[in-house]
Amino acid sequence: MAAVVRDKHIVRRLALTLVMIMLGAVMIIPLFWMISTSFKTQAEVFTSPIQWLPSRLNWDAHRKVWFGRLSFINYYKNSLKITMSAVVGATCFGAMAAYGFSRIRFRGRDLLFGLYLVMMMVPPQVLFVPKFIMFDWANIYNTHWALILPGMFTIIGVFYMRQYFLTLPKELSEAAFIDGAGHFTIFFRIFLPLAKPTLATFAILDFTWNWNNYEDALVFLISERLFTVPLGLNNFILEYSIDYPGMMAAAAASIVPIIVVFLFGQRYIIAGLVSSAVKG
Amino acid sequence: MNWMKRQQLIGYLFVLPSVLGVTVFFLIPLLFSFGLAFTNWVGPAGRGLRFVGLANFQRLLSDEVFLKAIGNNILYLLHVPLSVVLGFLAASALNRRIYLRNPLRAAFFLPYLISAIAIGFSWMLLFHPTQGPINQFLMSVGMTDPPGWLASTKSAMLAIIIIATWQSLGFNMIIFLAVLQDVPQELKEAAQIDGAAGWQVTRHITLPFISPITFFLLVIGTMNAFKSFGLIQAVTGGGPANSTLILPLYVYRTAFRYYEMGYASAIAIVLFLIIFSFTVLQWYGQKKWVHY
Repeated sequence: MAAVVRDKHIVRRLALTLVMIMLGAVMIIPLFWMISTSFKTQAEVFTSPIQWLPSRLNWDAHRKVWFGRLSFINYYKNSLKITMSAVVGATCFGAMAAYGFSRIRFRGRDLLFGLYLVMMMVPPQVLFVPKFIMFDWANIYNTHWALILPGMFTIIGVFYMRQYFLTLPKELSEAAFIDGAGHFTIFFRIFLPLAKPTLATFAILDFTWNWNNYEDALVFLISERLFTVPLGLNNFILEYSIDYPGMMAAAAASIVPIIVVFLFGQRYIIAGLVSSAVKG
Repeated sequence: MNWMKRQQLIGYLFVLPSVLGVTVFFLIPLLFSFGLAFTNWVGPAGRGLRFVGLANFQRLLSDEVFLKAIGNNILYLLHVPLSVVLGFLAASALNRRIYLRNPLRAAFFLPYLISAIAIGFSWMLLFHPTQGPINQFLMSVGMTDPPGWLASTKSAMLAIIIIATWQSLGFNMIIFLAVLQDVPQELKEAAQIDGAAGWQVTRHITLPFISPITFFLLVIGTMNAFKSFGLIQAVTGGGPANSTLILPLYVYRTAFRYYEMGYASAIAIVLFLIIFSFTVLQWYGQKKWVHY
């Protein structure tokens, strides 16, 4: 009797697994198709019946993407420079502000934080025109500074790290105060070391946002040599609009860092998104 | 200096860089945008900046493209409930004891992280009207006249909705997965001992428990839908014949294709007000809905 019940369970479990594998495959198809097509010859892309895998690995498209006229090596350099600077800045300034907003009482604090709340919902497109004018005045339009400087200040980062600092017990800083430590000592010696996983989570998420940032690059960069990866990809596709393996090789090239970050940081990413959504 | 004053000063020092950055890159541009919306400014090359009062906003009311963009934006919103429902279904399946649970979760979540434009180009080939795998499949199961997808005014928005649903459901799934773990197991077991069927447990225990987060995801999804840009800009550019043009794209096009910066700012202000009202709705709704 017990065995029958257990068998029934296993059958149901297997059935559900199979259904989810099929749906999971559907979720992965666009990605799979991208990578598979990048190794095909042009003639193999659209066949009837559908050919899922290339007959042999053809590296021509990848060679063109990395070493051709519109080389992704340059786009990678630009994107890494911008993304890294923005992430470091956003994490440092975010952590400092988060400490100030959660652990120090000063006049106007809550009002200021309320302003952050309002700023958080401003759609980026609302800022396109005024930022364009300001950057033009400041002579940073069509330079990487137009992406790095604004990228160093994120509101979501302040929110996310503040939330973590609020969970730390008050006694932690009180004991240090009694020992004569100031806020700077407490921040650097106690809070930052404790917040390492939180800082890492934010930095990883911010990395993906900056890496994928297409719209600011589109508006503020016009010289091809300054292009970031998403903008370079867009440009490449416009240039080679019927070279399907080339298009897919370019798209695949653009997502490599995201896949790497996902493989190693999946746990952090999910924890970060969940805690900012569920508690935020 | 007494302790209180010192404390204050240090507080300002900690938040200073961030406050400066937010002021320069968010607050000033936002206020600037409000000002520009009342001018006829046409970009740095143009002269004769004039205040035109409410003329830009009056023009919006009779601008057919603007009205079309609002309509399209509302149509585009369809992907939000779709993606919340599918995200919930995926989460409830992947919350059970099944094999390969973690790789399957990863498969559902991964699209969310990938740049919309990279994956958009892949979908562009999948949706190819005559030779793409999707239409090949539809024809092989007997559909004689499959849709033209991104190439046709009738189906382009549908294709965009499919892509957007596919991309965003992973986010909803992981949020639901997190919340489902919090559903008190004793409550479920007690109901089962009392003879409640599986769907009754879902209906009376799980659903009330997840309703606040569902509301939250719907509002956040709606707000994000009014901020969407990359996918549509890259894949259709708002076409064909404006059939996928949504508000953020119209702001961009008006400002940087037609160089009507003043008018673009007016559209941007409308966009901001829409998002603002959804935020208010969320604050109000959270007070009413959230009862942990």
